[in-house]
Amino acid sequence: MKKTISANIAGTMFLIDEDAYNALEHYLHRIEAGYNNSSEGKEIVNDLELRLGELFENRTQSHKKTITIEDVNWAISILGKPEDLGTSQSSRSGFSDGTYYKPVHRLYRDPDNRAIGGVCGGLGAYFDIDPVLLRVLFVVLLFFGFGPLIYIILWIAIPKARTMTEKLEMHGEPPTPENIRKYS
Amino acid sequence: MNTDNVKAQMRKGVLEYCILLILSKNDVYASDIINMLKESQMIVVEGTLYPLLTRQKNAGLLSYRWEESPQGPPRKYYTITEQGSKFLKELDQSWDELIQAVQSIRDKHL
Repeated sequence: MKKTISANIAGTMFLIDEDAYNALEHYLHRIEAGYNNSSEGKEIVNDLELRLGELFENRTQSHKKTITIEDVNWAISILGKPEDLGTSQSSRSGFSDGTYYKPVHRLYRDPDNRAIGGVCGGLGAYFDIDPVLLRVLFVVLLFFGFGPLIYIILWIAIPKARTMTEKLEMHGEPPTPENIRKYS
Repeated sequence: MNTDNVKAQMRKGVLEYCILLILSKNDVYASDIINMLKESQMIVVEGTLYPLLTRQKNAGLLSYRWEESPQGPPRKYYTITEQGSKFLKELDQSWDELIQAVQSIRDKHL
């Protein structure tokens, strides 16, 4: 089940899944940044947004539905990836100068990687350490007495990563279509 | 180097010429320019068109006006300017010269 956003695409209102919205926003930002945020770049992105409005209008007319990540990937395949549009792409992750999109990196419990509560999974995802090592560490701390207490405190304090966006934030990755497919 | 890259490079140079050709006799919507280019097998990804249209407009070769559309957002309706028409004539000549040059090389060496 996904969260839905009502988005204004070139003046028309659309209902769009949260992950689809993030991917689309990231796509448009990457292109604009590829033109060094010049006024020409803004004009081009505007035209792209208009075209997106037309494409989605035709696609969602048959029955009332929201724009999904599949719709967004379809639209991007028609319009072309940022690399194909002749812009300057200095980094695959989309942070061409780092100023327009800061990677959000938050600590969550990982529900997809849990032995007990996903605490080690979440810590592992945040610090990029193997959760198994962390679990061993906690078992060792068990013998010192305060292991379970620390674990329980972390279990209570750290929220579970439920949505796609939160899972991406947990790994500190930007919401590109490729990344979203990884965690969906 | 792969063939796709070389093909894309070839197309890129010619695309600007094709846009002016399409607009030479009629005013056309941006989305229809895309469709006409697709019909003639000229483009695959639509996104390559917008930067070119914008640059040509900024160079004074094209102009546009907004027209309301019954379904969906308003659309850009492009026209070629007088400067654009003159430029087109020069490109016509360039194109003929280029074709002749390439053909002569093909005749001599194929």
